[in-house]
Amino acid sequence: MEMIVAGLLDSLSPASLMFVFVGVAIGVLIGAIPGINGPMAIALFIPVTYYMSPLTAIGFLVGLNKGAFFGGAISAVLLRTPGTPEAAATAWDGYPLTQQGKGEKALRMALYSSVAGDFISTGVLIVIAAPLAAVALFMGPAEIFALISLALTVIAGIGTSSICRGLIAACLGLVVGMIGTEPVTALPRLTFDIYQLGAGVRLIPVAIGLLAFSEILIQLEKFTDKDGGEHAPNVFSSKKEDRLLSWKEFIGNIKTLLRGSAIGIGVGAMPGLGAPVASFMSYDQAMKRSKHKEEFGKGRLEGIGASESANSAVVGASLIPLFVLGIPGNLAVAMLMGAFMIHGMQPGPLMFKENAQLMYGIYGSLIIASFFLLIIGQFGLRLFCKAVEIPASILYPVIIFTCIMGSYLGQSSMFDVIVMLVFGVVGYFMRKFDFTYVAFLIGFILAPEWERALQQVVIISQFDTWMFFRRPVAMGLMALTFFVIGKTFWGNFKARK
Amino acid sequence: MLAWGIPTYTPPYPGYGASPALVPNVAISVILVMSLLILIRNAILKFKGKTLPPEEREFPEEIQTSGFTQIGRVKLFHLLSFLIPCALLVIGIEYIGYIPAAFLFLLVIQFVIGSRHWFQPTIVSILVVIVLYVIMRFGFGVPVPGPQIF
Repeated sequence: MEMIVAGLLDSLSPASLMFVFVGVAIGVLIGAIPGINGPMAIALFIPVTYYMSPLTAIGFLVGLNKGAFFGGAISAVLLRTPGTPEAAATAWDGYPLTQQGKGEKALRMALYSSVAGDFISTGVLIVIAAPLAAVALFMGPAEIFALISLALTVIAGIGTSSICRGLIAACLGLVVGMIGTEPVTALPRLTFDIYQLGAGVRLIPVAIGLLAFSEILIQLEKFTDKDGGEHAPNVFSSKKEDRLLSWKEFIGNIKTLLRGSAIGIGVGAMPGLGAPVASFMSYDQAMKRSKHKEEFGKGRLEGIGASESANSAVVGASLIPLFVLGIPGNLAVAMLMGAFMIHGMQPGPLMFKENAQLMYGIYGSLIIASFFLLIIGQFGLRLFCKAVEIPASILYPVIIFTCIMGSYLGQSSMFDVIVMLVFGVVGYFMRKFDFTYVAFLIGFILAPEWERALQQVVIISQFDTWMFFRRPVAMGLMALTFFVIGKTFWGNFKARK
Repeated sequence: MLAWGIPTYTPPYPGYGASPALVPNVAISVILVMSLLILIRNAILKFKGKTLPPEEREFPEEIQTSGFTQIGRVKLFHLLSFLIPCALLVIGIEYIGYIPAAFLFLLVIQFVIGSRHWFQPTIVSILVVIVLYVIMRFGFGVPVPGPQIF
């Protein structure tokens, strides 16, 4: 109990409150700009957190992620250009409302739905993560090895049409994660006589290169407007009923919001699915259950509520596998996992034992971030709408330069800038040839943990290959891994017949 | 990698635990097998005279997928037009220092993107260089790279 109170008090310290507030505000601003999403923002801002305390840093990044989820809805509603992939379903009903002069009402619906989904999923995370982590503590190295293998297999299928390419990307990530000092012999491995690689390839330059720099290179291919960004139509109608969302309208959609939140929590808690899946599933369910199916896609508030509550509910729920098992379920959480590791913590069930006060502090920051999102969205909506109009000719050079200096900042090393540029090019080619960088990045982050578990299994079992058969949970997880691979291959084979 | 890279740049087996080469060998082997599967599949389809649907082609012309990949043609000139200034910045910053190198880099990048006026790019370059300098030097206490002017 003392830990809980101390943790919550930590989250209420002025520094923590200020950085959560700043994180949410920057997140909304960044999410509103088409082409820039939450994980990319986290990658760009992790170097800044080197100089913060662990709680402030995680609170800032969590706020950034939450803000970006809502920010994605702004450009979706105003321009029909989703700022983030999960906001695509929001555009279907949001943009028609903007065309009817009710853009502000649509944005307010998106805001309240986001806050509702986010708040409910944070509550679920707080209630179930610690008890589940207590159960997860009984897992040994064999189970952890099997679990990471399963997570890598499931994640290999995200965002690519071919599991072969997904597995190639995940294995490439593993190989890059192996570069550096080998833990058992303490000798350099795969460094190719480049002494700077002795400490391994650092996460920050890799993440900035893969997520931000390569994305900007691709965005700039499509860039044709030489002098300015897109201009949003006038969304701020003079009629009060077109601007504000009435209490009746909100309550009328409460069922949809609850259903959307439940879908978001379910999807978020499972590694590999992610917010876009939750958003589309919730929209689909809302449409099927609505009495006004024909109005979906033409400007129905219910559609916006379904999409936004579900995608925001993913934020809190996706932290469940991270806190319980130490497995990142999606890209944003993978980046958060990196931030935890940079601040000297290994995400997983032991965190509740070793860093209990910090964990409750993070819970406090999560709740505070939800409140700040409501306040910032409520009073700053008009300001954030201006973000979609920032000219690309100003925005992109600034982001490119921030990528370069952000990579330098962590270790004050120009070598990290070179690593960032190399992975920017790698990311560019991966995107072009449909190799998912999500699998690469998660493979890279989990590589040391996976190898450590394997080493422990080999040492404990003394090369007994039957060890997995004596551990039913590990055996079940390995069987599930092979089932996932087999099912995907069989599915592809049957589809082609 | 299997024949040269891993054996040459991996420590010898210490006599206990798993070999340091095990995980890299397994990962590279999976990459090899998966690549072969993709090649065989494409060869069979080519032999049968079939073409894959656009989303399953190895090098499709122009399609968009789920947001994690943006399949399309590689634009090498476009890529080089950004990478060359970046490479020059990395080299230049060591010789002429952060402020002049970063200022010139931002001007060049804005020119490559399409800004043809002088006023806006100059203002943007000056502001960005100064803001980042102040954040790094006075906010985080990190020295900017290269020779110091201030």
